[in-house]
Amino acid sequence: MTPARAFSVALVGVEGTIVEVEAAIGGGLPRMVIVGLADAALAEARERCRAAVHSQGLGWPAQLVTVNLSPATLPKAGSHFDLAIVAAVSAASERFDREVLERLVLFGELGLDGRVRPVRGLLPALLAAVTAGFTTAVVPASQLREAALVEGLTLWGVSDLLDLASVLVGDPPKPVQLPPPEEPSAQAHPDKDLGDVVGQLEAKWALEVAAAGRHHLYLHGPPGVGKTLLAERLTGVLPDLDQSEALEVSAIHSLVGLPLDAGLIRRPPYSDPHHTASMASVVGGGARIAMPGSISRAHRGVLFLDEAPEFSPRVMEALRVPLESGRVVLGRAVAQAVYPASFQLVLASNPCPCGNAATRGAECRCAPMAVRRYSERISGPILDRVDIHHHLRPMTRSYLKAAMASAEPSALVAARVESARQRQRRRLAVHGWRTNGEVPGPALRRLLPLPRGSELLDEAVSRGRLSARGVDKVIRLAWTIADLAGADRPERDHLHTALAMRRGEQLTEVTGGRA
Amino acid sequence: MWRAGEVAAVHHLVKRGWTIIERNWRCSVGEVDIIAHTSGPDPVLVFCEVKCRTGVGFGDPLEAITEQKLARLRRLALTWLGDRAEWVPRYRLDAIGVLLPRNGRPQITHLEGVGG
Repeated sequence: MTPARAFSVALVGVEGTIVEVEAAIGGGLPRMVIVGLADAALAEARERCRAAVHSQGLGWPAQLVTVNLSPATLPKAGSHFDLAIVAAVSAASERFDREVLERLVLFGELGLDGRVRPVRGLLPALLAAVTAGFTTAVVPASQLREAALVEGLTLWGVSDLLDLASVLVGDPPKPVQLPPPEEPSAQAHPDKDLGDVVGQLEAKWALEVAAAGRHHLYLHGPPGVGKTLLAERLTGVLPDLDQSEALEVSAIHSLVGLPLDAGLIRRPPYSDPHHTASMASVVGGGARIAMPGSISRAHRGVLFLDEAPEFSPRVMEALRVPLESGRVVLGRAVAQAVYPASFQLVLASNPCPCGNAATRGAECRCAPMAVRRYSERISGPILDRVDIHHHLRPMTRSYLKAAMASAEPSALVAARVESARQRQRRRLAVHGWRTNGEVPGPALRRLLPLPRGSELLDEAVSRGRLSARGVDKVIRLAWTIADLAGADRPERDHLHTALAMRRGEQLTEVTGGRA
Repeated sequence: MWRAGEVAAVHHLVKRGWTIIERNWRCSVGEVDIIAHTSGPDPVLVFCEVKCRTGVGFGDPLEAITEQKLARLRRLALTWLGDRAEWVPRYRLDAIGVLLPRNGRPQITHLEGVGG
């Protein structure tokens, strides 16, 4: 019997490669051999496929079955090859016309009873299949909605092996009806509303600027002033993701095994790993082919590190490169995975272990060295990459009373953020950028007019108060502030505000009597 | 029952024109079910393991031939060859699965050269 073949997709990172699954029957005692750099989950397809076929009363060849996954040097991982393997094996034993398989890509994990189970990474895999020119795909019936997000594919949803068999003999039992697409993100904004946070107007303003320009934000202050409350509400004021962003984000969610039943993810994701998180969980990791971590799950969204000084210094320092490049390259011996990691970083921390340092009216019980050590736990290079440093102060009672009535809801802030984003898009779209936060430094100085009064920055640099990177950050901030104010070019005032936000409370030292 | 299976296997081989040399040859290592010469101008010495079942409820008969059993067949073959003085240029290990339904004709699956 001549070998038969079926097609599936191997994923390395979010990049998919078409894999030819060849099956040959004969030449030895009955057993199954899988060759072609399969990982443990894939190698166990041996047992799954045979048992599943038996349980559905379909025959499995009583001979040596050799399955080859080509290209042979590409490492392959995951359980989604099961359907392609079964299809190739039954085609090799002449159960149906093997021509059918030439136009199909197959995905699905098999249960021992022949059920087809959902798989990870279906969305990026299907995108790769479309790019490679396939027009028809067999997917687990439970994942039809996720699969339907990819345009240009005819889909067959199969719930067990008998379904697959009928698709392969060209006699699909029932026309596969796609469930009606749900309204994407019916709830446009999450439960957490800025209106719940009383007072802290300056911090809310900082949050608004951060949201408008996609700037990184560092909130510090004593316990209980609302750092976490504010950070959790940042995604609520961010605008929806556009089509290409939504695809990128959904692809990562599909890869980590989160269901995409509600359609493409349209809201910016939010990820808040606990401070005990390991390097692999935050940055991404794994033995053979690295899996995405929190920073990739927060791609096009917000990564919130609460109690930032408590994070392992190694984990914090690992954020440096992704912060600059917007992606993370995880090299392993067998393959190098590249994951997008363009996240907006929000850090929150207390000023010292007891939390009361530099707070008026409170008594700090820490030794001076302890306070210093605590603040040094977030390194300079990381802080230098954060655009907005904001110190929150506890509110006085009278202020609380006054502020109680007038807390702005998220929707209002979101509207201002959206109009500022529109201004940015109009200005930056020709260069291919979306927000001020992602404009590279040189472009900032060459392609766009400089803010008025930028000699102020020269002085800050010459005093060692601002790094070269810091200058770019301040200019970006000034643009965002101007965008929020509806100005066409940052004025001197905007630049002053930007510098103040960048430097936190040290503003007066820098600008002296000038402002 | 296994007797019937071996008889069916021998019938099958004889029908193919093979010459049976030994049946159930035993020594301290174990037993070879059938030793035979293939037909044709250039005969090969074949050591056969026969497996017989009445149904596939516990799997195909051939699935019962494990790596261990093959290794024993290999040792047996060498022992048999060692006992004989004449030079045997080529030999081979085959496996024959016999499916003996309670009523109906036996189905024979013959795999050649399973010794690797």
